[in-house]
Amino acid sequence: MSINVGLGISTSRIPIEAAKDAVTRALINIRSTKVDLAIVFSSMEFAQPAVLRTIQDISEATQVIGSSSLAVIYEKNVEKHAIAVLLINFPETIYFGSACINEVSLKSGVRSGEELGDKLLFGFKNIRKNLALVFSDGLKAQGSDLIHGLQERLGMSFPLAGASSSDNLAFKKTYQYYGSEAASDSACAVLLGGKFNFGLGIKHGWKPLGKPRFATRASGNMLYEIDGKPAVNIYREYLSFDLTRLKKDLRKISTLYPIGIFIPGEKEYLLRNTLAIENNEALLCQGNIPEGSMIRLMIGTKNFCLEAARAAAQEAKNSLAGKNINFVLVFDSVSRYILLGRRAKEELAIVKEYFKDVPVLGIYTYGEQASLQSVDYQGKAYFHNQSIIVLAAGG
Amino acid sequence: MIMLLMVSFIAIIILSLKVSDKLDKISGLKEEVVKLKGSLEEMDEQAKLIVRTDMELNRAQEDLDKKITGLYSLQRLSRAISTTLEENQIFQLIASHHLEELGFEKACAFLWDSSGKQFGLSMHIGYTQEEGEAINLTLNSQKEKFLGLIENEKSMSSVSKHEHTESVEKQILYIFKVTSFVLSPVLPKEGDKGLLFVGTDNSEITLNEGDEELITILANQLGQALENARLFDKTWRSQQGLEKKVEERTRALSSALADLEAVSRRKSDFISSVSHELRTPLTSIKGYAAILLAGKLGDIPKDIRERLDKINRHSDELVHMVNDLLDIARIESGKMIMKKEPLSLLEIAEKIADLLSVQLKEKHIVLSVEIPDKTITVTADRSQIERVFINLVGNALKFTPEKGKITIAARKIDSGTEIDITDTGCGIPEVALRAIFEEFYRVDNAINQEVKGTGLGLALAKQIVEAHGGKIWVRSTLGSGSTFSFNIPKEV
Repeated sequence: MSINVGLGISTSRIPIEAAKDAVTRALINIRSTKVDLAIVFSSMEFAQPAVLRTIQDISEATQVIGSSSLAVIYEKNVEKHAIAVLLINFPETIYFGSACINEVSLKSGVRSGEELGDKLLFGFKNIRKNLALVFSDGLKAQGSDLIHGLQERLGMSFPLAGASSSDNLAFKKTYQYYGSEAASDSACAVLLGGKFNFGLGIKHGWKPLGKPRFATRASGNMLYEIDGKPAVNIYREYLSFDLTRLKKDLRKISTLYPIGIFIPGEKEYLLRNTLAIENNEALLCQGNIPEGSMIRLMIGTKNFCLEAARAAAQEAKNSLAGKNINFVLVFDSVSRYILLGRRAKEELAIVKEYFKDVPVLGIYTYGEQASLQSVDYQGKAYFHNQSIIVLAAGG
Repeated sequence: MIMLLMVSFIAIIILSLKVSDKLDKISGLKEEVVKLKGSLEEMDEQAKLIVRTDMELNRAQEDLDKKITGLYSLQRLSRAISTTLEENQIFQLIASHHLEELGFEKACAFLWDSSGKQFGLSMHIGYTQEEGEAINLTLNSQKEKFLGLIENEKSMSSVSKHEHTESVEKQILYIFKVTSFVLSPVLPKEGDKGLLFVGTDNSEITLNEGDEELITILANQLGQALENARLFDKTWRSQQGLEKKVEERTRALSSALADLEAVSRRKSDFISSVSHELRTPLTSIKGYAAILLAGKLGDIPKDIRERLDKINRHSDELVHMVNDLLDIARIESGKMIMKKEPLSLLEIAEKIADLLSVQLKEKHIVLSVEIPDKTITVTADRSQIERVFINLVGNALKFTPEKGKITIAARKIDSGTEIDITDTGCGIPEVALRAIFEEFYRVDNAINQEVKGTGLGLALAKQIVEAHGGKIWVRSTLGSGSTFSFNIPKEV
């Protein structure tokens, strides 16, 4: 007995009709009458409780989980106005549990993560746990802390794959789906265990440029000083822009030239986007920066991005060498979509090359979460930026 | 003691040398570190150059990507717009994905209604119906300003810096709730003009002249499409009007034709019944005149005989006219039964020549028959065709002076057989050539004034020929003679 999946997508402009269409197609494709889990990814116009309720009612899924996105990744296509549903039926040898927490920013990120972890673990006593899949709000700054809190409960080395929801580049509101709820500032997760196999690849492709520097003063996701000077100087020096120009073009600058944290034993630096330049010329980053860590400015190109996608897909596939792969999830950073421009589809075509006969579904994200490879970090999950996660799963 | 001192001294010297060596090495390493640091700084400076250059390249690449995507979208849109001939569908062809590819999320199109003197909303994307209508209302409250934009025939945008438009620009940003926009006039050559607005509320997006250019091109395409649609509509309406007129005219003509046919039928019926009525008394008159002339009621004086002869002759003429009228009426009404059979034209011509031989001899007129042989035949009713020959040759005889010539010729043609009766007579004036086959028509000439006739001979000949599916016509030169021709088609 293995996992059965059915994938359906609709680009109808009428949300309820689109939901019906997508879930019906998925039901046709799944070779099972019982649906355990429905993963729903959609563009912003479909982020409505009525849509999720329709999917739940028609599929009779035990649980619905998902996220809003700039666009839906469906096989090797990018659909900017679509809703996609992946229906999963697990065999008896695979267990799953799900949970959701709201108002993450009102509590501390760590506490929210702990609460989520506790809820996930409920009912999983004495069952082997394999992977946690997490969707969180990409506009909230507590991403790193949330992951940290979750790991406090699940285990520091517990495999984790997560996506921070995105919107349509308005950076106003994102949605996380759980049941028939489409909420913001939430985190929802699925815990999978039993005979569930997965392969995970995460890469970004950005290369370090310039001399190494040190985060001489940092706390959480705030980088105050680099080499004893205000953090913003790193961009001032490299780009020769004044503060006004830097603030105006920050999003573009941060996407093209993020800050990279050197992780001993890791092939790639851990990237950090800059969300804002504070009044004291500190950089508010999308993810924590350990004080004292070596950092460098990073540079990316389209070709580097595509090579990274290939490496991530390869890594995911290699991890499952010889094992059955039933579906693939892709969490791809919005920054890569912006950088690749008209070549965005090429990235997905590369991933699809490795999983020709397997349904591939994904979203564009404002952040990604996954473990690091290095033995030094003992599989600890980190909050990533500008990366592509390829999660191949089977059972 | 001295040995100890010496050893110590030597040890100190050796140590000093070692320390000095180490210090030298350290100094060397320090120099290396300084050099490395210098190299690193140099590389870092180069890295800065790379980043700055890369930034510029990325900007250029982004602009290029945007332009290419925009151009592709414009091309697809232009193709769709140029093939639409329905005015109210033109603006609907612009979809939100086209707009996105051009780098915008919101759009509105307005057409100026010159009769209502206000703008109408033709399309809206990125706004609800209510929002669109509210914008339209605001636009109309400042219509002179926006009409001015149309009159200027120039686009404006949040990028282009024209004089006196800063306030207008701010108003547009406020009305349409956007951070950047392009507003372009839509200018068809005829009819009402309009405005195309596109905009975005994404403050991350910065427009450039290229964006304004693309939208201007789009607005021009829309203007052209409107023009074409209006022209097509005008042409189509004209055509419809024309078709309607033709239809009405045809109906009127058909009605007139039906009336004419009814009149013709009534005429034929009238002639037929009158002729039948006339025949009986005519037969009586002739009969009694014949009895008196035969002397069966006693001898009659000479002058009475002369008068009786006249009565006989005139009765004959009347009977002849009545018979002709009856025949014409019968043929017109389709009641004449044609007994068609293959006939040798040579035989018929010889028969006619024989029949008229006395009259021909009297006037010393030569009758020439130019029919090669008996193979020239027609499939026709014998008596009717002979009537035609009698009438045509009879006319030729009447109008040819003494010592003239009459020729009967016949030949095969692709569709049947053609016969000519040519005379060297007085000819027919051109003005009479058309009317000559009409009933009762007689050419106004000296011979007709002298010699009586009914004016029905040629009319009857025409009816008979046409009843056989043929045609009859005449060629004539006044003073030289005439050729009456007719054809009888092959029997299918």
